[in-house]
Amino acid sequence: MKKVVEGSHAVSEAVRLARADVISAYPITPQTHIVELLSEYCSDGTLNAKFLRVESEHSAMAALIGAASAGVRTFTATSSQGLALMHELLHWAAGARLPIVMAEVNRALAPGWNIWTEQTDSLAQRDTGWIQLYCEDAQEALDTTLQAFRLAETVYLPVMVVLDAFFLSHTYEPVDIPEQEEADRFLPPFKPAFQLDTQNPSAFNQLAPPNVYMEMRRSLQDAMESALDVLDTIEDDYEKLFGRRYGAVEAVQCDDADIILVTSGTVTSTSRLVLRQLREKGEKVGLLKMKAFRPFPFEALRKHTAHAKKLAVIDRNFSFGAGGIFAQEIRSALCNLARRPLVFGYVAGLGGRDVTTDVIEDIYWRTKTSAHPEGESIWIGLHQPAPAA
Amino acid sequence: MTEQMLSPIVPTPLIPRSFTTTESNKTGSWRFLKPRYDEKTAPCSAACPAGEDIARVEMLVAQGLFKEAWETILQENPFPAVCGRVCFHPCEGVCNRKEFDDAIAIHTLERFVADTAMRYGIQPDIARRPVQGPRVAVVGSGPSGLAAAYFLARLGYTCDVFEAKSEPGGILRWGIPLYRLPVNVLEWEIGRIRSLGVEIHCNHRVSSDFLRDAGDRYQAVFIGCGHHRNVDLGIPGENLDGVEEGLPFLERVRAGERPDLSGAVAIIGGGNTAVDVSRCALRLGAKPVIVYRRRRQDMPAFEHEIEMALEEGVELMELWAPLEIAPHADGYRLVLQKMEVAAEEGPRAQVRPVPGETREMVVSKVLKAIGNAAEEAWMEPPEGDGKLLRLANTALVRRDDGPVLVYGGDLAALEKSVAHAVASGKEAAMALDTYFQDGWDAIESKVSACRVGQGPSLSMEMYLGGERCRRNPHVVAFQEINTDYFLFSPRLAQPRLLKEERIQGFSEIDLKISAALALREAERCFNCGICNQCDNCRLFCPDLAVCRDDNPQGRRINYDYCKGCGVCVVECPRNAMALEQD
Repeated sequence: MKKVVEGSHAVSEAVRLARADVISAYPITPQTHIVELLSEYCSDGTLNAKFLRVESEHSAMAALIGAASAGVRTFTATSSQGLALMHELLHWAAGARLPIVMAEVNRALAPGWNIWTEQTDSLAQRDTGWIQLYCEDAQEALDTTLQAFRLAETVYLPVMVVLDAFFLSHTYEPVDIPEQEEADRFLPPFKPAFQLDTQNPSAFNQLAPPNVYMEMRRSLQDAMESALDVLDTIEDDYEKLFGRRYGAVEAVQCDDADIILVTSGTVTSTSRLVLRQLREKGEKVGLLKMKAFRPFPFEALRKHTAHAKKLAVIDRNFSFGAGGIFAQEIRSALCNLARRPLVFGYVAGLGGRDVTTDVIEDIYWRTKTSAHPEGESIWIGLHQPAPAA
Repeated sequence: MTEQMLSPIVPTPLIPRSFTTTESNKTGSWRFLKPRYDEKTAPCSAACPAGEDIARVEMLVAQGLFKEAWETILQENPFPAVCGRVCFHPCEGVCNRKEFDDAIAIHTLERFVADTAMRYGIQPDIARRPVQGPRVAVVGSGPSGLAAAYFLARLGYTCDVFEAKSEPGGILRWGIPLYRLPVNVLEWEIGRIRSLGVEIHCNHRVSSDFLRDAGDRYQAVFIGCGHHRNVDLGIPGENLDGVEEGLPFLERVRAGERPDLSGAVAIIGGGNTAVDVSRCALRLGAKPVIVYRRRRQDMPAFEHEIEMALEEGVELMELWAPLEIAPHADGYRLVLQKMEVAAEEGPRAQVRPVPGETREMVVSKVLKAIGNAAEEAWMEPPEGDGKLLRLANTALVRRDDGPVLVYGGDLAALEKSVAHAVASGKEAAMALDTYFQDGWDAIESKVSACRVGQGPSLSMEMYLGGERCRRNPHVVAFQEINTDYFLFSPRLAQPRLLKEERIQGFSEIDLKISAALALREAERCFNCGICNQCDNCRLFCPDLAVCRDDNPQGRRINYDYCKGCGVCVVECPRNAMALEQD
């Protein structure tokens, strides 16, 4: 049934449909609306879940690690500083192979205090062993959240569903919300492969000396490597039931493109408009939307960019001392290819600054008119510094 | 490792998993600090002359165990209904809660548990020793004599109490006005002492001959006949007809007489008797004026009694000393000398006359209440006797030719108060029991072993080897309370008769409180130093090393696994634990 809902609530609806058993969260803008609605669902009986109020995000994740170890379906949501506070437990959740699902609403890190969108918070957690899926709109946020439970419970890895602050989390859009029976058909109850059992007591995740630790890490990487295929299978099922699929990457008119814009999150929607306008002017431009960041979709990226001359990667994030994080990863994915496009890295929209069609067009023309990238990353739209007082 | 394969393309999750018990890892061996339960002494209980276990009493009230709370008081004091009304409650002055918001209304709760027992006719379950050989005579049935008889009877001794007046109670019956202590309350408390087998012989005035011959029947005599001789002013006219002494006046009123007073009545003195006399005179129609040679802050009377008197309409003239009382057509002409403060040393200011400054006032009556002393010389403890043993609130004399004499109550106590009289009776009972069991030389050490905190208050429960012996004498300070666990909460407001209602007669001023109010007030108590089973130690232990147990503490620490982190000690809200070098 189609309803106009806020992006945050599209996620909440998916968690309701997934029949999560335990939800634990600590409020932080711009995430709060997600768990606010879920807490209402828990209190009015719409959702039969235990909602654990905790004193910090660290405790929220710790609580879910306990609950997931007991073999139930778990969910949390956070942003920015809250995600940073969870950091050590993100490693734990992945290493313990717990299928926790988290909605991560991208928000810039302080200081200065900034509640607006930026991807540095989630990308800073790239090495924790969490699957990361970036969403473009409210419908995708709902669909991805529902899929995330099945993905997590198949590969035994936690999944982060990532969405932009405000542009997505606080924007109302028409969203097709599945009926509960349909959702149940897609997502069966969680049957854990291992769980705490008082009848057969055991301790989880104690000492792992050098003779076993490396194999455990490899097992986690094997699971990561399988995740893209598993996601593909899950999307097959989802498409059959609901008629929608997204893919780890989405390529738009890339086959004949000289220049491909590479985007993630809501910038993708704006880029679709720019693409249409440029194509109308006869420009041979394509668009590659990166949905999966972990695992990194090496094969799909290489396939869709094989014929392009240049990639213009738009990063709403930054790694200080290096560059835009998507651009870095894309360069490293392509560097061993005999024939590869030039990678232009652009940094735009930090701290929620608007990335408009003009900004994206500017990026396109800069890329087209430059023989080589001006630097590791090119910052777009910086104001002239104010003269000293 | 799990055995189940999920799907052909998904590898099996590999995680560390152990099926052996973690109990083999005795983390207690890492410990260098050791927590233990260490119940301490609450400041209120150390300040209570009767050594009542107040922190525990409030805990029991908060748990709704009113009978147990009452019995806990009765361990140390036979008069909770009386003391809940008339005691000057030094306990509240040192209450740690005072540093946080307001002291606990301890006296109100004491009265509440006693009144509840009275209302439902409950009998206390308090252990008594089997009957012992020695018999003890008690001279005077005031609070010290009755307390001595009560504690001695519990220790198994047969006691005969001799009272000169027609009914027992001493100052409680004849000196404290009804608006502070209704007579049925006193009779209920005395009845309980009688039910222990104590015989009270009224209208039986004891003389010095009695002491001489007492050895025939008694192995000890407790002398607690109080101070009933009035101290003279030493001024002309003080023996004029109608110039009356304070205590006999109170006694007349208490006996039911209602002398018709009107106009200004002068009360000379600054003690509790002076204040009580003034308030009675007010109720009888007079305009009382207390004339005191020092200032209000120097008055020995309890401050809250002075405040109530002034509120009711009693006038206070400070720094005026009487010079002469003379007859006058309208009653008496009182000549007063203006005084001034000469020195502030000591508990009361030293004053001297201001030369040439006098005044006169005409009053319809003069009441003298400047103090009392023992009536006869034999009632005073002998000075310089080699066989005299002075304890905090008693003096014992061993004689070659007769029973041991114990001087108590006002005759020997640190202060003249009901609570000190109770302390004196208890100390006498402990001393005599020790004397009978272990001899004279054992008295001092055995009595001092029962001190609450640093003393001088004593605990009968400790004397009898009860749980209280385990208490550390350290008195808990406010800084040792973990106030994170307490919310600000206003002190119980004592319901009282309105001023206008009070002065109409002799009805009790302080009204009873509901159980709901009592519970709320008791819950405010920090229970300094004593475990109220809050369970924080167990809940916070990161190693599950604090376990429930059947022992009196209710818990034990499993030192096989306690790492000595000290969380339990820090999270104990009331300093009932200690952390020490292992």
